[in-house]
Amino acid sequence: MRLALTLATLLLIAVSAGAQAPPPIRIGFASAMSGPAAITGEGVRWGATLAVEEINAKGGVMGRKLEAFFADNKAQPGEAVSAVRKLVDVDQVDVIIGQTHSGACLGAMPVVKELGVPMVIEACSHPQIRALSGKGGNEWTFRVALDDEIMAYTFARYMARQGVKSSSILAMNNDFGRGAANAYDAAFKKANVKLLSTEFFDPGQPDYRPVLTRLKRANPETILAVILASDGAPFMRQFRELGLTQRVFSRGSLGSAEFLYQVRDNPKIGDGVIEASYWITGLDPEWDKKWTERYKVPPRIHGSLAAITLKWAVVPALEIALKKHGKADRQTIRTALEEVDVKDSPLGPIKFDANHQAWINMILIEIRDDQLHILEKLSTSPALLN
Amino acid sequence: MRRAIWLVLGVAVLAAPWLVPAVVPRQQRYVLHVLIFTALFAALALSYDLVVGHVGSLSLAHPAFFGVGAYTAAILATQARWSFLTDVLAAGLAAAVVAALVGVPLFRLAEHAFAMGTLGLALVASVVANNWVQVTRGPLCITGIPKPALGPLPVTTLPAFYWLALGALVAVMLLYQGLTTFRLGRAFHAVRDNEPLAAAAGIDPLKYRLLAFTIAAGLAGAVGALYVYYLSVMCPEEMTVGLTVNLLVIVFLGGVGSLRGVLVGAVLFTALPEVLRLAPTWRLVIYGGLLLLVVIRSPGGIESLLRRASR
Amino acid sequence: MYALVAAGLALMLGVARLINFAHGEFFMLGAYVFWFGYSELGLPYPVAALLAPAVMVAFGIAYQRTVIRAILPRSWHVQLIATLATSIVLTNLAIIVLGTQPKEVPTALSSRILDVGGLRVAWQRLLVLAASLAIFWALHRFVGRTRTGRAMRAMSQNCEACAVVGVDVQWTAMVTFALSAALAAIAAALVSPLFNIFPDMGTTLTLKAFAAVVAGGFGYVNGAIAASFLIGLTEALAGSYVSYAYKDAIAFVIMIAVLLWRPQGLLGRRIGI
Repeated sequence: MRLALTLATLLLIAVSAGAQAPPPIRIGFASAMSGPAAITGEGVRWGATLAVEEINAKGGVMGRKLEAFFADNKAQPGEAVSAVRKLVDVDQVDVIIGQTHSGACLGAMPVVKELGVPMVIEACSHPQIRALSGKGGNEWTFRVALDDEIMAYTFARYMARQGVKSSSILAMNNDFGRGAANAYDAAFKKANVKLLSTEFFDPGQPDYRPVLTRLKRANPETILAVILASDGAPFMRQFRELGLTQRVFSRGSLGSAEFLYQVRDNPKIGDGVIEASYWITGLDPEWDKKWTERYKVPPRIHGSLAAITLKWAVVPALEIALKKHGKADRQTIRTALEEVDVKDSPLGPIKFDANHQAWINMILIEIRDDQLHILEKLSTSPALLN
Repeated sequence: MRRAIWLVLGVAVLAAPWLVPAVVPRQQRYVLHVLIFTALFAALALSYDLVVGHVGSLSLAHPAFFGVGAYTAAILATQARWSFLTDVLAAGLAAAVVAALVGVPLFRLAEHAFAMGTLGLALVASVVANNWVQVTRGPLCITGIPKPALGPLPVTTLPAFYWLALGALVAVMLLYQGLTTFRLGRAFHAVRDNEPLAAAAGIDPLKYRLLAFTIAAGLAGAVGALYVYYLSVMCPEEMTVGLTVNLLVIVFLGGVGSLRGVLVGAVLFTALPEVLRLAPTWRLVIYGGLLLLVVIRSPGGIESLLRRASR
Repeated sequence: MYALVAAGLALMLGVARLINFAHGEFFMLGAYVFWFGYSELGLPYPVAALLAPAVMVAFGIAYQRTVIRAILPRSWHVQLIATLATSIVLTNLAIIVLGTQPKEVPTALSSRILDVGGLRVAWQRLLVLAASLAIFWALHRFVGRTRTGRAMRAMSQNCEACAVVGVDVQWTAMVTFALSAALAAIAAALVSPLFNIFPDMGTTLTLKAFAAVVAGGFGYVNGAIAASFLIGLTEALAGSYVSYAYKDAIAFVIMIAVLLWRPQGLLGRRIGI
């Protein structure tokens, strides 16, 4: 009799202990996992995996572990819709981090509103996203990254302060490049910098000499390049090859460890380039180290942004939701996101304004002596746009 | 017995918005979304098969017509605020007109050259869509396309859209059947199978090829319009040459020139990957491999396998 | 660069009457082999540059014996789709195996610049030009003088008759493929130091090479070469003076224009069906 009672008690304890193990919080990550932009999706996947492991190793968020799910948006709006629906309906995620590419962001936004799932955007740079979020109509979308308008106005003012009188824009022919070009067009006007010409190129194509010839002819004082590291390397090589001497200001990932790695045979190629960004290796040295140990390449921007978004925007929201409401479902996470107020993330302050935009810092990086130097850290705020 | 199966299938397809939540309650919206895509793709593939399967011209220009229709509808919906039905009509018409214009010179070329010419057209269209920013907004995409409305009835929910897509598919299927049977169908097939003989018999190959080409393009444009209305967004990436690859896979895997084959191909190609959920790059490898195998071993596609099985 | 790739394609089309959509992948794989030899194994440039065509020749032969043999007797629809399918498989396998990050292969020559009175050119580009010319000359002599070369020409004109005359069709076809692959690989080895290497690089190249082949007259190697130069030049000039963004469309506009004006291509004589 005593034995049966003990066994029963033990069984009860075991069952209730098992029942008490709380379910993991499900986080969905959407990015371009295939197609020409697959390299960004790969970065996001790596960054997300590493960050989730890191958090779970420390016991999760208030005892709740995190589980990551991934979906492919192929950098297209149609696929972004499918990705969101898959994450929500099939994977049952509580919050989405993504979509990396502006076209995909724009396509996904109506759907997250329809389905009622919060989405924190880690990288899309289209200014319209800010206009449409929060009090702009879509309560479910939030953005950590700065958009082209904010960066353009800040950067243009900096260039004007340096005495720059004229510039030409060279931008990638995709949503990122075109959006940036538009923004800088307006920003230059405001900052009294003369815009002499604007050129577009297809990312991945290798021959910049025709466009460099055109730039040479327009003869600006500076070039504003909206370009990624992988294109930036052949671009700068051919830039030097043709003997151009303009100062290059960049907005993309030209001023990055990736670029330096690609031109490691002749590091002087990048000297003098000034890059405006909001992320750089060195903001979080521990993270950089973990990444390099695990993946054997320098940290990638999209992966690191996804990780930072998770660790310093979503996790604090989860904590607020769990503390205040004892649960972390989609609606509570959404309201919690509105209350997030982090002062010291690697990107700067994270606090979402009425349009659900976080005003993180902008960083100016200079390539000098084969190294990246942080020139200035500029804080941003809505006042900049006036 | 066969009839009964078709009837059940038909009812199931029609009643999907009720069946799906019963079978997979938590994933119903996602499944409906996949079904909508499948219906649209099937309609597109059928229009493509008209040219490839029934007239025998390997055109690689279909993405261009899809794109013309899609952008026409997108621009009219956002700039001119035309109603849904007129938009779809205008889109189809625009695509058909473009097809007629380019078809006349293209069809004078021999087969190889024709294929290359259509490929060139698709590529040029893609580049234009990406760069003619004043009209198409290039990579910044046209956003904010409103939900469609059939007269006074708005189409806002997923089931409503499903029936709209299904209706469009049925319309295309009926048109396809009508065009490929009776005398017109026989004329098409004559041109496909033995052009000199057809010409000798008084059937002008150029005229019939052009007819099929133009109608197919019009249908593709209309499907494009439906597509943008569903997504509310249109970007140049939706009309790349890759779309041709997808269509080729559907048509050849399913069975060139057969209604059932193309439908099966569309379902397999659109719905199955979602179910399997393989890594995206592996998925492409598998498609390529399948396409290769099918085209070498069984050029009739699944349709020929089905025919053999029913004997 | 276009010329080398297009020449290989034209060879295959003319001799074996084959449309090979996977040709760009020969280029891409050749580039990766070169990268592997040069960056990973640390071979000196000429050795790595020759390794690429060597490996690709083997690959080309393997490809010919498996895929091509199966589709050669079929209609050209089938050929086109089969090779297109192969292209998809190869490109995506490359993504899976080699990763999406572009690889860079800078060599000594690609960084050093030759400065001649205001015209600046990397030494590597001169190498490309010189090597191309040398290869074309060698190709010309091969096709014109050697037995295999003559066999190839015979095959391109009339396949049934040449079997009667004693031409070893299988061997000739194999050689053609090997040559085709080698040309693409050499082009890759020459050009990679200037640009990036990534799995998608073959796709646009295949299309432009086809444009050149078609514009030059199906199967006429000289025509393809001439058309390639025309396309390359126009692209560069139009890119510099008209509009850089529309540059990619130019190859195809030229092709369409040529097709409409002279359906047999620039140097072709008759169009086969």
